[in-house]
Amino acid sequence: MVQINLPQNSKVQKGKYYKDKTGSKNIRKVNIYRWDPSNDENPRIDTYEVDMDNCPSKVLDLLNKIKNEIDSSIAYRRSCAHGVCGSCAMNMDGKNGLACTKPHKEIKGDINIYPLPHLKVQKDLIGDLSTLYRQYESVEPWLKNSKKNDDKENLQSIEDRSKLDGLYECIMCACCSTSCPSYWWNGDKYLGPAVLLQAYRWIIDSRDEERKERLKKVADELKLYRCHTIMNCTNACPKGLNPAKAIASIKKMLATS
Amino acid sequence: MKDKNPLSPHIQIYSWHISSLVSISHRITGILNIIIVTLICFWIAFLFFGNTSYELLQKFFDTYFGKFLITGTVWSFSFQILSEVRHIFFDLGYGFELKTSNITGLLVIFGSFFLTILILMQNLFI
Repeated sequence: MVQINLPQNSKVQKGKYYKDKTGSKNIRKVNIYRWDPSNDENPRIDTYEVDMDNCPSKVLDLLNKIKNEIDSSIAYRRSCAHGVCGSCAMNMDGKNGLACTKPHKEIKGDINIYPLPHLKVQKDLIGDLSTLYRQYESVEPWLKNSKKNDDKENLQSIEDRSKLDGLYECIMCACCSTSCPSYWWNGDKYLGPAVLLQAYRWIIDSRDEERKERLKKVADELKLYRCHTIMNCTNACPKGLNPAKAIASIKKMLATS
Repeated sequence: MKDKNPLSPHIQIYSWHISSLVSISHRITGILNIIIVTLICFWIAFLFFGNTSYELLQKFFDTYFGKFLITGTVWSFSFQILSEVRHIFFDLGYGFELKTSNITGLLVIFGSFFLTILILMQNLFI
């Protein structure tokens, strides 16, 4: 259901202010969403003054600098720092993306960092993605093929293989799904762009033998057709993929089959 | 655990894109158009009550509020029609590239105002 306002326990309050101690002249303010599960307080926005003269280029570097030098209590996910693992997906400057690939120079004014939108927060910038992972499991994202040629390669023509381009690159960072208003309002039933892109990745794979069953499974008023082509997903994808187009391709396959 | 954990901010903090703006406007004008079509039915029904009731409404349409209503109606229908054309192309599988969708989105927004001016110039003020 559409619920514009945040619940009472989620209303964001003003938090602490960490003044710069280095005496640098090149200072930027960074506002970060904080929530501590160990007490009953509401989430708050802490503001950090950061010395930008000694800070590498990406938002993740900025967060690491704050964690190392100013406030070690701040929690966020990160791993590869090269835009491959998708751990550091968060909302920066009102847009979802990977902190490790987003240059802070692109952000004008104060830098606002929030967790991915409309998720249950576990701590600070860490959101709970278990619903999304359950939905991912529901599309059975593995090859279904009855051929028993374990000792041979399962070959594909160049043309068939090229159909997977723009799909296989997805790293499941959830930037797209959590940017989608339809997914905010119906996230329990609507599969969302990330999972639908993955569903399409297996539907279109020439080696998979269960295309019809897969299509049938996803053809549902709520699972698929909650997509209203808002295109926030494509705008958000840090890998430059196009989930909106993948969803449209599923709809088109269903309409023409 | 689930009730205790807060919900992260969503529409409050998410920045608007051209495509999301067109999408929400498409819905709002859609709802407006249903109301407007109902009102137009009433308007036509009024014609059956003869000359005096027709003139009464004519006077209403001559007021600034009346003119505002007509202008709004024309814009709402213009927007809906243009946006619907954009959606037909989406349904056929075209126009999903970011650049294309931004251009068509802007075309819908500016086109709706352009159409409104064009239609009103033709009918209302001449």
